[in-house]
Amino acid sequence: MDTATQTDMVTLTIDGKTVTVPKGTVVVDAAKKVDIEIPVFCYHEKLGPFGCCRMCLVEVEKMPKMATACTLAVGEGMVVKTNTDKVEKAQKGVLEFTLLNHPLDCPVCDKGGECPLQDNTFKFGPPDTRMEYNRFHRDKATPLSPVITIDRERCIACQRCTRYSDIIEKDQALVMRNRGFQNRVSTFNDEPYDTRFSGNVIDICPVGALTNTDFRFSARSWDLTNASTLCGHCACNCNMTLGTRLNEMKRITTRPNDLVDDGWICDKARWGYGFTKSKNRIAQPRNQGHSVGIQEACTEVAASLKKIVEAHGPNSVGFIGSGYGLNEDLYSYQKLFRMGLGTNNIDHKTYSDTTGLPVAHFDLLDVETSDLVVLIASDPTEELPILDLRLKKAVTRKGVSMIVLTDQQTLMDKYSALSLRYNVGSDGDLLAGLNTALQGQSAGSDIENKTGVSADQLKACAEKIKSAGKVCVIYNPAALTGSSIHTLKQCLATAGGLADTQVGAMPAAPVTNAVGAMDMGVLPDVYPGGLALSESEAIKAKWGDTAPLDKGLSALEMIEKAKSGELKALVVYRSNPVNDFPSGHEVGEALKKLDLLVVHDMMETETAKLAHIVLPSNGPGFDEGTTTNIGGRVQLRTKGLTTDNPADWKIVSMIAKVLGQETAPKDVNAVTAEIAEKVNGYQEIKRSAIRREGKSREAVTSVNVTPVSDGINTGNGLVLRVADVLFSHDKILDAESDLAHQFQPSTVHLNEKDATGLGVKEGDEVRVTGNGHEVKAEVRVSNRCNPGGVVIPKVSDEQGLMFLVEAGQTVSRVTIRK
Amino acid sequence: MTQILFKNIDTPNLTSIDVYEKTLDGYQSLRKAFEKKPEEVVEMVKASGLRGRGGAGFPTGLKWSFLAKDVFPRYLACNADESEPGTCKDRDLIMKNPHLLIEGMILCSYACRIETGYIYMRGEFWEYEELMDKAIDEAYAKGYLGKNIMGSGFNLDMYTHMGAGAYICGEESALLSSLEGYRGEPRLKPPFPAVEGLYGKPTIVNNVETLCAVPFILMNGPEAYAAIGTEKSKGTKLVSVSGHVKKPGNYEVPLGTPTIDLIEKYAGGIRDGNKLKAFIPGGSSVPMLPASKADVPYDYESIMEAGSMLGSGALIVMDDTTNVVVETLRLAHFYMHESCGKCTPCREGTRWMYQILTDINNKKGKPEQVDLLNDICDNMSFKCFCPLGDAAVGPVASSIKYFREDYEELIASMKTGQPVGTI
Repeated sequence: MDTATQTDMVTLTIDGKTVTVPKGTVVVDAAKKVDIEIPVFCYHEKLGPFGCCRMCLVEVEKMPKMATACTLAVGEGMVVKTNTDKVEKAQKGVLEFTLLNHPLDCPVCDKGGECPLQDNTFKFGPPDTRMEYNRFHRDKATPLSPVITIDRERCIACQRCTRYSDIIEKDQALVMRNRGFQNRVSTFNDEPYDTRFSGNVIDICPVGALTNTDFRFSARSWDLTNASTLCGHCACNCNMTLGTRLNEMKRITTRPNDLVDDGWICDKARWGYGFTKSKNRIAQPRNQGHSVGIQEACTEVAASLKKIVEAHGPNSVGFIGSGYGLNEDLYSYQKLFRMGLGTNNIDHKTYSDTTGLPVAHFDLLDVETSDLVVLIASDPTEELPILDLRLKKAVTRKGVSMIVLTDQQTLMDKYSALSLRYNVGSDGDLLAGLNTALQGQSAGSDIENKTGVSADQLKACAEKIKSAGKVCVIYNPAALTGSSIHTLKQCLATAGGLADTQVGAMPAAPVTNAVGAMDMGVLPDVYPGGLALSESEAIKAKWGDTAPLDKGLSALEMIEKAKSGELKALVVYRSNPVNDFPSGHEVGEALKKLDLLVVHDMMETETAKLAHIVLPSNGPGFDEGTTTNIGGRVQLRTKGLTTDNPADWKIVSMIAKVLGQETAPKDVNAVTAEIAEKVNGYQEIKRSAIRREGKSREAVTSVNVTPVSDGINTGNGLVLRVADVLFSHDKILDAESDLAHQFQPSTVHLNEKDATGLGVKEGDEVRVTGNGHEVKAEVRVSNRCNPGGVVIPKVSDEQGLMFLVEAGQTVSRVTIRK
Repeated sequence: MTQILFKNIDTPNLTSIDVYEKTLDGYQSLRKAFEKKPEEVVEMVKASGLRGRGGAGFPTGLKWSFLAKDVFPRYLACNADESEPGTCKDRDLIMKNPHLLIEGMILCSYACRIETGYIYMRGEFWEYEELMDKAIDEAYAKGYLGKNIMGSGFNLDMYTHMGAGAYICGEESALLSSLEGYRGEPRLKPPFPAVEGLYGKPTIVNNVETLCAVPFILMNGPEAYAAIGTEKSKGTKLVSVSGHVKKPGNYEVPLGTPTIDLIEKYAGGIRDGNKLKAFIPGGSSVPMLPASKADVPYDYESIMEAGSMLGSGALIVMDDTTNVVVETLRLAHFYMHESCGKCTPCREGTRWMYQILTDINNKKGKPEQVDLLNDICDNMSFKCFCPLGDAAVGPVASSIKYFREDYEELIASMKTGQPVGTI
């Protein structure tokens, strides 16, 4: 131990046991290290010391009064006693007070069985009460929001929930109102408490005051089977516990992993799993609309693909996957197409991205330990909510500074030291300007014309980057246009070359396993592990001599070729191009021309309706395997529910077997092991190694590939930016979802200047036209983007928003009319 | 008789700055202060032995020297949330001589290099806020506030801020929370306000009376102040005498004056020829004492030795017609009503004690409830988050200690009838 560490450590004695802990640790936490339990209610390690419940009173030598162990920082040589008569009397006294007006309705309380108040009373409390008056009554079970029920009689006013709302969410939505014994947890004016992260208060409530409305009275906690799983929504891959009973999803709770979620999940994770019991699930395989057995379906798919390849060559078939699949599923699919069918027509996205980074791939924890975070084209609040909480923590409690470079206002702006708004669609020019500024030159006088951001502002931005010791760049490749991703990586390379600055980045595309899909080589020009087609020797060494080496078609190209009739068969996996790809209606028309369209998905979609053969995908809750989050951390998603349908990778392996591909893996572990063997960067990813906290995969090779789309067309009209929304009324959150109250109306956000020019005002119903299609929306004159741009949040599948976007574009021009 | 705070306080129109300047050499202490270095002013206050008059009696100069070094801006928050039952001295000072407070605040701010001062006034002081604001405006107009005060290069801005009528906001950290616009709840200490106070910056929180004593120290020297009072309790104290006396009111006395003199000489003695039964020496938060201790000198140490505290200097006198249970019930009601609810023992204990005392007062009490009350007191005392919990214990525990027979008498009557008293 070096001297610096020594001075940072403090040694104290608790009940005669010696313990050494870092300076600043509170006694409650120090005691845990030597297995001494000091009971608490209000203390929560993520919320910090507060000291209101008085449950943790201990005696400390040389202190005249008893001290609260949750607020008392350790001191060198401190002697703490937690088991004296005085402490015992204090604990009994405090518990008697705590229970004085508590209804003791444990037999009908959802918290029963997992309740700290129950546990502490059992361990430390008095056997009975001396209270002989009527307890203070309040309304039982009233809604705090459509998804949270509050029972204020049970509340012990520990203020965990209100502090969570203040310290973690930074909303102060939940507050204490009134005084003394009449105080109550509430929102101002009793508005619903419906933030993006409201559900966490249920988990941290130490009593049964805050309960999950959906779970209320549906199971006792001890009757639940709990699966340690991961969230399958955004790309943070938060850890959560899936509680089931009799093979039905009952509830979802947090499963803290400081390296990923910091102990929280968003409300979409908590209440966004209604799809596990939705009637819109694809329950059975179908062939031409008729239910068939899974083996029959797989045989049919294999035979049809084989026939088409034999007749038209391997490049007449293609695969469009998505980041919603597990690594094992995606790996199996690319292998099927490359090795079984001999084609590189493999892709999973409609935007440009390249594998690997010219700098370190930072993990989520690096956000807190950096000096500066640079957020580019990303809206974490809507896209990656847990990153939103982590950024707020970093800025407000860890002294991290933040630069926001986006084309639309986000909630992150108010936490940023510098917030620059570039014109929608001008990200390429902006990033080129930033790169110039990073090289110490002026971005030029016309940069402001092109992007809305001046050379001076970019210089200020570059200066901040240069003067920071550690910089974490977070960017959303899906929100960049044209070939900007290359410019962005040039910026990273330039920043990476700065002396005295450590630079890392996090590609933050919002889809669950977006990073995994890139790593698994679900790309037309890169093999798994970032192996570019040019590295033919390496590819042959790993995949054999038959491995196809010619560049395949991108997802958008496959649609084009389907339209022209050159592509004959397409397998679409966990993707809904008809609704989600640019110019979706045209995509639908193209798909109709295929000889064979196989859709392998979890929910019924517009694309599945067009399919000749439909295969069921089990999806989160049912499936098991690994995902790689935005921080490059590979974690294990286990299943909590079972189904008769085989796992996705298994279905792929059944198809492969018919095609004559070598031995099928016996279980998912075998696929994970094969990934470790075949995919660069994943060598250490073994089930045993990732079980608890996951494990970072080694960075994959950085490969530059050709962009899939061009920049924005020149022409008239405003430039449309489609913005992601966390609670989008899509296939996953259907109308019956618990989160239906979070759905928003279709709105179009305009700059004041454009609104004046168009003669529209706040609240007007307008028609937005583009690409021969029209979408109705209500006007918000919000200045969310610069003049010339327009932002429409993608609030539902019904909205048909992607129809407005021209094929091959990320942003597109639209006109607006009343 | 030495008068420092109440000197010429009944001069007509003393609230006007011209009268103040003429009658009391108003604002002349600033010249003396600006001739010295700020640290020298702190040393003077230290040497004077002035102690905080809000209740805790902490040495004022020492408090001023605890400000976190080299952290700016710093703030001064004058605690004018005078809410302690029995206490009405700050109101007199503000109402009759607002400029004395402003002068004291300027001196404190200069000594502590503070450029912003707030006067946090209890919600019920709304009419004096107007008066205070007017006085502040006058001080600005005369150049005693604002930029470069009297050419010294020292700047100070001053504001009044009204509370919303919560007793807890007299606790310094709750006061700061309230001043920041948050719910008035006490904060965790440490950090103490001198290190992290208002808006997380070093802050001095001083009582009105404390600040009003500072101009005298500057004008007459710390020795003059220290010459008054006892060895450890220096200077004069405003005592609000209330209860069963003939002439209730505020009296300024040198610390160390016998308590009985305050009752007999100053306040005209017990009403109606009755006898003294009990007295609360320092406001409702401190333990009451029986008549036998009435000769205790009125200073911090002597009262502490007698088993109570000088507190905010509110002497509440009870004659022998009083049933102490009724008085205790009233105070218990006050603390139940004023508990902020943050910590469990205070929130729950104050209400439980009130419930039991109500029963006893209604002649429904049980003998074992007296010991129960005592045990509740024990479970609360020194176990609450802030001193309000201990304050709530004071009257109950001391009334049982000295006047248990009053409880037993009521409990023995054991038949439902007219309550002995009402709140």
